[in-house]
Amino acid sequence: MAGVFLPAPWIPGKCPGLIFLLPLLAVSGRVDAATTADAWRALADSRPQEALRITAGLPDSREVRLARALALSHLQPVTDDALAEAEAVFTELAAGQDETALEAHYLRARLHQIHYSRPDPVRAAELYAELAARQPASRWAQLALVKLALLQLYALENPAGPEARLVRAEELLGRLTEPALQRDLHLQIGLAGLHHGLKPERVLPHLVAADRIGDVPGIAQEDLVMQIAELSLRAGRLAQAREYFERYLRDYAVNPRCFTVRHRLVELEQLAAREGAR
Amino acid sequence: MSDRARNRIGFVLFAVGYLCAVTWVFTRSAPLDSGRPVTLRFAHWQIEAGPPDGIAAVIKRYEELNPRVRVEQQLVPGAVYKQWLRSNLAGGTGADLIEWGPWLEGVRDVPARHFVPVTEELKRPNPYNRGTPLEHARWEQTFIDGLSGQRIDSPDPGQVYGVTLTEVSLRFFCNRELLRDITGTEAVPQTFAELRRIFELLPDYSRRVGRPVMGLAGARDNTHWLLDFLLAGTTMGLNFSMDDYGYLALYNRQLLAGYLHGRWNFRQPEVGAGFELLREVARHMKPGFMQVTRDEATREFLGGDALFIFAGTWDATSLRRLAPFTVVALRFPQPTLDDPVVGRYLIGRSNDGGGITAMAMHLSRHSRHPAEALDFLHFLTSVEGMQLFTNASGWLPSVREVKIPAEIESFKGRQDGFASANPYTLIGSNVSMLFARNIHLLLGERGSVARFTEELDRIMPEAVRSDLQTELRSSLTTLKGQEMRMVAHANLAADERSRREWLMLEAGQTLSEGFALEMARNLATTQH
Repeated sequence: MAGVFLPAPWIPGKCPGLIFLLPLLAVSGRVDAATTADAWRALADSRPQEALRITAGLPDSREVRLARALALSHLQPVTDDALAEAEAVFTELAAGQDETALEAHYLRARLHQIHYSRPDPVRAAELYAELAARQPASRWAQLALVKLALLQLYALENPAGPEARLVRAEELLGRLTEPALQRDLHLQIGLAGLHHGLKPERVLPHLVAADRIGDVPGIAQEDLVMQIAELSLRAGRLAQAREYFERYLRDYAVNPRCFTVRHRLVELEQLAAREGAR
Repeated sequence: MSDRARNRIGFVLFAVGYLCAVTWVFTRSAPLDSGRPVTLRFAHWQIEAGPPDGIAAVIKRYEELNPRVRVEQQLVPGAVYKQWLRSNLAGGTGADLIEWGPWLEGVRDVPARHFVPVTEELKRPNPYNRGTPLEHARWEQTFIDGLSGQRIDSPDPGQVYGVTLTEVSLRFFCNRELLRDITGTEAVPQTFAELRRIFELLPDYSRRVGRPVMGLAGARDNTHWLLDFLLAGTTMGLNFSMDDYGYLALYNRQLLAGYLHGRWNFRQPEVGAGFELLREVARHMKPGFMQVTRDEATREFLGGDALFIFAGTWDATSLRRLAPFTVVALRFPQPTLDDPVVGRYLIGRSNDGGGITAMAMHLSRHSRHPAEALDFLHFLTSVEGMQLFTNASGWLPSVREVKIPAEIESFKGRQDGFASANPYTLIGSNVSMLFARNIHLLLGERGSVARFTEELDRIMPEAVRSDLQTELRSSLTTLKGQEMRMVAHANLAADERSRREWLMLEAGQTLSEGFALEMARNLATTQH
């Protein structure tokens, strides 16, 4: 095709005059004003740099400062200095009395739990506890209780024993009013009990409670149905084991674990027949 | 020369340059594309015979239906895929649709950072399934496994990032004519004992024809696949005995922690039995097989120098297209409970693949045409699209209601065997590396099970710890990213979709956090 003159059909309207206006249009084009929602959308889309750019052009407000500090704490490469700068903003915002204050308080605790290069679970736990005491019914305080319970279950030195850890987490569970968060903590208490080697009878009520609330995310729902079935069988609760094994076969019919489940059901029926014969 | 004159000359030069450029663009240049305003790029590493043809067939039909869109298939060799992925995504220049798998070490953070979840879209019917039995099914329900593999591997529990194209399994491919020449019959082995008897006939046959014919085409890759499969069988009971959580399965993090807690080791008889069986099978491969790759094994099989080859169905199309003989895909004849070598450690048949779909494609956050990319994914995974893919590739479809050609029917999983965990060779990158580096102690001339396992247990503790630390780091990276998105969606909760994302991320993060804390505790409590 070299040397052949081609038309340019992709230029709108083939209007030669338009081409001379393009530079002017480029410099004078109006851009819609960004909003705080745009900054949140950028963060929701994992684009902290874009969020920082947007917030730089917005009038100052507590919400804008919160979004900016959150972006700063996720900007790559993340450094402890940047995190400390973000924490200073969260601390200042947390001194307020509005929803932003609670959110900032929560984010400050998170920095200490998972973001700093040297996490400090004790400090994070203190901040969660303060937040939960401050406005117990707020969503951020409720979430703080779940995170505090997780630390009690695995990370904090006090209480030390497995049973004591579960009891402490159960006390926090009693302060939750949000069903979705109750579900999450029930599940975590159940899993932590298994990690610490407690008996199936001890953890089953929590797993069943999580399942009853429902909407467990992702593969965890499938695992939960399986766990309740298998642990019920181990605990001798045959009716519950049968119910959940059958549910597993119905809801997850193509999973390779179904073969094992069918075997377990045969064993279960043999066990039930022996118990019935006794 | 005065400043004014200099400015004038500069302005004139600028104006002339600009006019020349405009004239050139307006009169002499050609459009960069074919006139279709949207170009989608579709990148994957399945460069074996089959998939590129399957995808090309789908693209051809899709472009007929959608004159605005052009789809380019980008074939990226597996050897450079991770580097390609990392550099393109970092620069925001990657393809619109990208293959990714959780076993790709070093790029585990990619989905959460660079891909868009398709969870919401999966809840609605696939528009290209109109007029089919799947017309009213939610998109996710149209997949054979309901995308369960994608749920297991999701970095955000609850979110689904990938949409799969195929189902794979491990098969034992046989040269039918050679089998008839050797055994006098076309009867294929059903058990490992029958396979042993066929292997016993080979030295005599080789003498008769005056050239060596091996039982099994040998190469490093195929040997590792076989080892993984045999090991999964002999360690099944051991795995179930460690299943404290009642999953009837073990995740990698649990196997790694189990090793650190002394719940299992490589000198365990169940593990040794799997190695012993591999040694036995390896005697029927040509000397030096560990020095060559799967291409060499394929060549050996295609040349009629080996009766069988153990491979994934991903190699099946290549084998069938290139073989001058009839290739039969068999299920591997597994040892039975009365097997003298491994029988006492078996609890039954092992699952030999299938059931979980693979070749997951992901929508890039950097895509300039996300709506069109999603639309193409819809078509690709519709009944029509998958039929085209299956017919042209010789690979199984990932979607229900697709007619499976008779010649690949045997690739389908049968769900008649136990499955419990990844084989111990695949639970972490350091573990895998040490396996590969030391397997000569098992299969070499002076190799033995005892020599191999003693060395493994000497060097593995550090590797296992390192792999568990990697799992923990990867989990923490995901947790941190979830934080930003979760809080942002909470602040956009007036929008219903954001509200759902917020609640899903919140629950998912708590789950991931529990696993991370569990891993950290396992690392801390096994530190000596």
